[in-house]
Amino acid sequence: MTFVVTDNCIKCKYMDCVEVCPVDCFYEGENMLVIHPDECIDCGVCVPECPAEAIVPDTQGGLEKWLKLNAEFAQQWPNITVKREPPADAKEFDGVPEKLEKYFSPKPGEGD
Amino acid sequence: MATITMQSFAETHEVSEPAIRRLVDDFYVKVRADPELGPVFDRAITGDWGPHLSTMRNFWSSVMLTSGRYKGNPVAVHRRVDGIELKLFERWLALFDETCRELFDDELAEAFHSKAGRIAESLKLAVFYRPDRPWPPSAT
Repeated sequence: MTFVVTDNCIKCKYMDCVEVCPVDCFYEGENMLVIHPDECIDCGVCVPECPAEAIVPDTQGGLEKWLKLNAEFAQQWPNITVKREPPADAKEFDGVPEKLEKYFSPKPGEGD
Repeated sequence: MATITMQSFAETHEVSEPAIRRLVDDFYVKVRADPELGPVFDRAITGDWGPHLSTMRNFWSSVMLTSGRYKGNPVAVHRRVDGIELKLFERWLALFDETCRELFDDELAEAFHSKAGRIAESLKLAVFYRPDRPWPPSAT
């Protein structure tokens, strides 16, 4: 069991989650974060911290593509444990539908 | 006659750093005295228990108070524990719950118990799950 980062993180990337995660299991892409499923201990601390409400438990249905995306990119992107400034236009993208199809970048972020 | 006042948390719903300290201290006294858990912990923690107690206070502070005080990799740590067994997780949870109920009211005890149960489940999966074997295992 683990938590999964989903669509609304894309281009919002607030990064509040990385500061509170006790096990440093967030990995940073160019415009989104993911959770490493083998490192997450299911404590749920990150969930209420996310202003975009993008983190959900994997027990929720219909998450197959997000489970796959989190697992895949957690192995490719750098670890992030320290929050930086979110994108200047984060608020404008909060709640925009279908961000995966329109905006997702597979490129790695800066990491720590 | 002098009155000895024990600090009690049983009347509060609130998680606090002092409450976590008391929980960790009391819980690990039970763990060390437990015939199942004691030997495993004693093998894993040689010498001074101070650093472990401090780590566990930080861990529960991070989980219950979102303080960010703990940063570590408990999955890797548990994979290295000599003598770790599935059934020990159940024993750990039972003692943890017992300690919480001695110290806290029902609501707070349940909040700790619920978090501990979720975390234990993911640690069990991380340490024991094999894709080619059934889960949960039929015999533990």
